[in-house]
Amino acid sequence: MYLSRFMIRIAAILTLGLSAGAVLGAVSPLELVAPVADYKLYVAENARKLVADTRNFTAAVKAGDIEKAKQLFAPTRMNYERIEPLAELFSDLDSAIDSRADDHEQAEQDPDFGGFHRIEYALWVEKSTKNVEVVADKLLSDVVELQKRLTALTFPPEKVVGGAAVLMEEVAATKISGEEDRYSHTDLWDFQANFEGAYKIVELLRPLVVKQDKAFADKTDANFKMVFDTLQKYRSADGGFETYQKLAERDRKLLAGRVNTLAEDLSKLRGMLGLN
Amino acid sequence: MSDPHDDRQGDAARRPLPGAPVSLDRRQLLGTLGGAALVGLAKPAAAETSAAAHVTDAPRSALTQERIPCLGRHQAGVTTPRPAAGMVASFFVLAETRAELERLFRTLTARIAFLTQGGPQSDPDPKLPPAGSGILGPVVPPDALTITVSLGASLFDQRYGLAGFKPKRLQQMQRHPNDALDAALCHGDLSIQFCANTPDTNIHALRDIIKNTPDLLVLHWKQEGSVPPIPASNGRPPESARNFLGFRDGSANPDSADAALMDRIVWVQPGSDEPAWAAYGTYQAVRIIRNFVERWDRTPLQEQEAIFGRVKSTGAPLDGGRSEHEVPDYTKDAQGERTPLDSHIRLANPRTPQSEANLILRRPFNYSNGVTKSGQLEMGLLFICYQADLEQGFIAVQKRLDGEPLEEYIKPIGGGFFYTLPGVRDEQDWLGRTLLQASA
Repeated sequence: MYLSRFMIRIAAILTLGLSAGAVLGAVSPLELVAPVADYKLYVAENARKLVADTRNFTAAVKAGDIEKAKQLFAPTRMNYERIEPLAELFSDLDSAIDSRADDHEQAEQDPDFGGFHRIEYALWVEKSTKNVEVVADKLLSDVVELQKRLTALTFPPEKVVGGAAVLMEEVAATKISGEEDRYSHTDLWDFQANFEGAYKIVELLRPLVVKQDKAFADKTDANFKMVFDTLQKYRSADGGFETYQKLAERDRKLLAGRVNTLAEDLSKLRGMLGLN
Repeated sequence: MSDPHDDRQGDAARRPLPGAPVSLDRRQLLGTLGGAALVGLAKPAAAETSAAAHVTDAPRSALTQERIPCLGRHQAGVTTPRPAAGMVASFFVLAETRAELERLFRTLTARIAFLTQGGPQSDPDPKLPPAGSGILGPVVPPDALTITVSLGASLFDQRYGLAGFKPKRLQQMQRHPNDALDAALCHGDLSIQFCANTPDTNIHALRDIIKNTPDLLVLHWKQEGSVPPIPASNGRPPESARNFLGFRDGSANPDSADAALMDRIVWVQPGSDEPAWAAYGTYQAVRIIRNFVERWDRTPLQEQEAIFGRVKSTGAPLDGGRSEHEVPDYTKDAQGERTPLDSHIRLANPRTPQSEANLILRRPFNYSNGVTKSGQLEMGLLFICYQADLEQGFIAVQKRLDGEPLEEYIKPIGGGFFYTLPGVRDEQDWLGRTLLQASA
């Protein structure tokens, strides 16, 4: 579906008028319209790709093609991981698409455990797709529904601006340990996507941030560069990533430190741009 | 030592809590939250005027304004009397250059000055995250907090050009026969010991330091502990607190008020065989020692006492006396008929002329962490000790203890060895300065 940039901007102006209120900083709500609109396009593109890739992924699962499904698992997820701050706004879908075994009382055996990680468990641990055919259907219908809802959503600017920090908080709290993709150990793909998603927001806001605090913008850029450079060391020949176990302890600590720093710094972004 | 900084901070800290109504900014913010939230927030303020007691009223402490100077030849928290709550946190250092390492030391110095002396922490812009966690309120009380920074052997690798400047006896903690060391609870580049009257003060300080050093430190492990207080005045001399085995721990500790003794036992002296920068520092040994308390509680009293070498109720030595302060005379018990030769206190300190060289200053806390997979209590001793010579001190003592009968009831699972940096002399000085200057 094509959304005119103009319509998005109008919608964004309306939202900003309601939520930003009296702006204390030097950034006017109107200045946020363009970056929020551009971010909506970025999310729309990732949602479109998520649906397309999930269609292929679930088709492989249903066809019992374990090797192909394994190959598609991590790249398919990246589309979701890039836009997680917005995707998570729909908690029913987020839980259905991306919950982990330990979100459920009976862990892997819990009948409510579905989504990507249930299929991951089937592919890497059960080594069979016969238990997850229904799960695959449900996953596809859930991502289609997600795309629909994201398209209809008027993006709250504070969620967009705050999204960069949200991604870093999630990596810092529950991903850096390698617990997200515990069966496939494809965590580095998720890290890359989370960083890309966060950096996209920072990139779009950069002109505004520079006006407020140039040193902050430069420091944040440098920290992003550091995490991308670190992950780059773990690129595999086919353009993917090595498994999480290959991540050197020193690099894991460095990543953790940079993620903490980004989380700490990006937590100031909303306030800096005068958002509640 | 005199510290003008201390007084200034003190005035700030003693200033009464601002009782004024909420600021304009604050009200504007609340306004945007909508009417319901505002009513909800207004209620407690109205109730404040009534003197009704609530079960949730904060417990009162007369000690929150206790302030330990943070400047001096030595760091505080070593010979400072041990308060009720302690914590050791171990970190990896992420600094990539010597300049960043210096920034880390300077940042720690500044945070320690603020946290230990107390004072107001203001948040002028409610749109930004607050400067601190706020868990102690807007005016941070000192609460006898001390923060003691020490360095692990791993910091003296190639990263910062410190390899040639490692204290002579600093080494990675080695496994003793009864240890079951968990790598996730061992070693680290840098340790910080927090001691205060309440655990919340330690937690506040730890969170402050983490918040202020995200690109320089990453937390490796931490262990909190406490010691049970005794009545404020019971007409008796001071008593050692009890450990989780029910025995007094610290009875034969050297007198920390005796400066000459501390210079001999605890503080590395100038002109020793240690690097010159290390003068007035000390070696810190930390051990997380799990106690099998269920089993211990099922052990006959006389066996418990024989294992420790003391009377459980009083702490007196087994060869006589009424209190823990009496000194056992092993020369009259060479065969160990009164105090078994393999009892804990006799092995730890045989009280021979030779064992004088092995004295250490203990500063332990009891810890309690939850439940093991087997459904037993995971609790024990956060053992901390300080000494001028790590090898003659903790390592020699622990080697004598290896194989002691107490081992059936204890299992060391973590900890590490660190070198406690010399003190911060004045407001221009900073932690680690002598080390970085010596190695420049």
